Amino acid sequence: MTVIDADFSEALVADEKELSVARRIWLETRKSPWFTVGLGLFVVLVLGAFLYPLLSGADPQVMHFREKLLPPAFAGGSWAYPLGTDQLGRDMLSRSLVGLQISFLLALAAVVLTFAVGAAIGLYSGFHGGLTDQLLMRVVDVQLSIPPIILAITILGVTRPTPALVVLVLTLAGWPTYARVTRAAALGEREREYVRAARVLGASDLRILGLLIAPVVLPPLAFAAVLDLARLMIFEATLDFLGLGLQPPTPTLGTIIADGRKYLMNAWWVASLPGVFLIVVLLAVNMMGVALERARNRVLGGL
Amino acid sequence: MVRVTSFLLRRLAQSVVIVLLASLIVFCLLRTGPGNPARMIAGGMATEETVEKIATEMGLRSPMLVQYFIYLKKVVLHGDFGTSFVRPKSGASAVAGGRADDPTRAERARVIDLILDRLPLTLQLAMMAMAIALSVSIPIGLFAGLHAGRWPDAAALMLSSVLVSMPNFWLAGILVLVVSIQLHWLPAVGYRDVTYSILPAIVLAIEIIPVLVRSLALSLGAMMSQNFVRIGLIRGLHPSQVIYHHAMKGASVPLLNMLGVQLSALLGGVLVVEYIFDYPGLGALTIEAVLQRDFPLIQAIAMLTSAIFVVINILVDLLAGLIDPRLEY
Repeated sequence: MTVIDADFSEALVADEKELSVARRIWLETRKSPWFTVGLGLFVVLVLGAFLYPLLSGADPQVMHFREKLLPPAFAGGSWAYPLGTDQLGRDMLSRSLVGLQISFLLALAAVVLTFAVGAAIGLYSGFHGGLTDQLLMRVVDVQLSIPPIILAITILGVTRPTPALVVLVLTLAGWPTYARVTRAAALGEREREYVRAARVLGASDLRILGLLIAPVVLPPLAFAAVLDLARLMIFEATLDFLGLGLQPPTPTLGTIIADGRKYLMNAWWVASLPGVFLIVVLLAVNMMGVALERARNRVLGGL
Repeated sequence: MVRVTSFLLRRLAQSVVIVLLASLIVFCLLRTGPGNPARMIAGGMATEETVEKIATEMGLRSPMLVQYFIYLKKVVLHGDFGTSFVRPKSGASAVAGGRADDPTRAERARVIDLILDRLPLTLQLAMMAMAIALSVSIPIGLFAGLHAGRWPDAAALMLSSVLVSMPNFWLAGILVLVVSIQLHWLPAVGYRDVTYSILPAIVLAIEIIPVLVRSLALSLGAMMSQNFVRIGLIRGLHPSQVIYHHAMKGASVPLLNMLGVQLSALLGGVLVVEYIFDYPGLGALTIEAVLQRDFPLIQAIAMLTSAIFVVINILVDLLAGLIDPRLEY
């Protein structure tokens, strides 16, 4: 889980070298073996998740009623179903990979939206200050005080969940943190020399925000947002698991695992193997997060 | 002392506003979604008129803000969170009954009783999870923090990366398979005695451990390279004195902040984990309430959780200020 906190903004409000600080962290991150391994794993799995179902011709929806709950190839099954079949005789490997695709796409959409909404509100709030700022930050407080899962079940539990609704819930759960962090960073920039200079020269607020402050404040946050993918993928899978995400027959990791729990006794692979895919993707993202965190600590010296 | 009191008063006042707004949002969300609780109470066979009558009796036909203020007035003045839409006093759910004139219907369970009934089990679970999490993560975090940049640090980092990547519902399935079904060590489903809390508590703890380990390792590692720690060691103070009294003091504030965040996350985790283990606590109650469109119950639980959330945050800031007097209230 990537921890996004005020430290990020410290990189920005440091001194006149602030542009190079973000850049130095990035360069340092790329050198780390954690990053290389994480990125490699991530690319392989995500590419695999999109290519395998296309290339292998295995259909995640086709049921083979005579071949229910077959074990995976490595546990005595046949290579026709490398990871075995589920309770309806569907191919587990292609189902898991399609599930991974869905989880990834929904989380990606949510990350982009979360970042866009959070950053826009944070920039505006921090730059304007005053009453607007106070009001927006109270909205953030209120949003934060409703636990995401409660929000999710009140929105998704009472209607039929669609992909758009799921993304909406993920976004609602995530934007306040970004707004808060961006605001803190923007607040730090507001009184800086270059901003005051631009204002004296007659630059409009929008111009200052968009062309001067945003490029300084946002890049490290954008990177953190990508790493937040891991958290959102878990959240999405949890919603599916609770029956609050996309509905069957769409194969999602959460629903496959939830169904598989009924067959734990005689077919352990249905509930466990799809989770392994998710774990490896998350581990890959988290390893990149570790690389970033260490690079940040090294560049900033100590904490 | 005056400073602390004024801090508390200010934060409490803010919290009241936050909780009220949060509850208003949940109130409106519930009532704009589809799903007609009056229909559920009346049963599938009841006529439209009966459903309408019940809906009017329940106050579902007044404007939303009016409904909210009536609700709020009862909560604030009488501590009355209303009665469940569907649960009778005895316990079992009454949704299925088809007769609209069922006499037992008047005797619906009070929401506050339902919650207080389930709360202790959830608190027991949460406390057990926190105890496990702290007793595992503090030694590991200390060890990693004292060897910052060397193998224990990297190992702890790797461990927490793996743990943080495991979804709780997946882990729960695996643990049930191995610990309960294969080894018969611990019971998994339902609740009869305290041993039924152990497995869910482990799952919850594993969610928290990586975050605490990393926070402690990082902040302690940073503290150990601070001048006051180095000088303490050079001056001949015993290393344990320096570590536990000086370095840990500085490292405990970030840890405390993390603990606060994690306690709040625990509120969400409890819901999923209780559902998986069929553990009859507040989390399972919440899910049942949503499935039954039991508005008063969902409403009260949402209000309670956001209140717990803000109280935890205030406590964390208060404690952080006591540990580190430099922090402004």
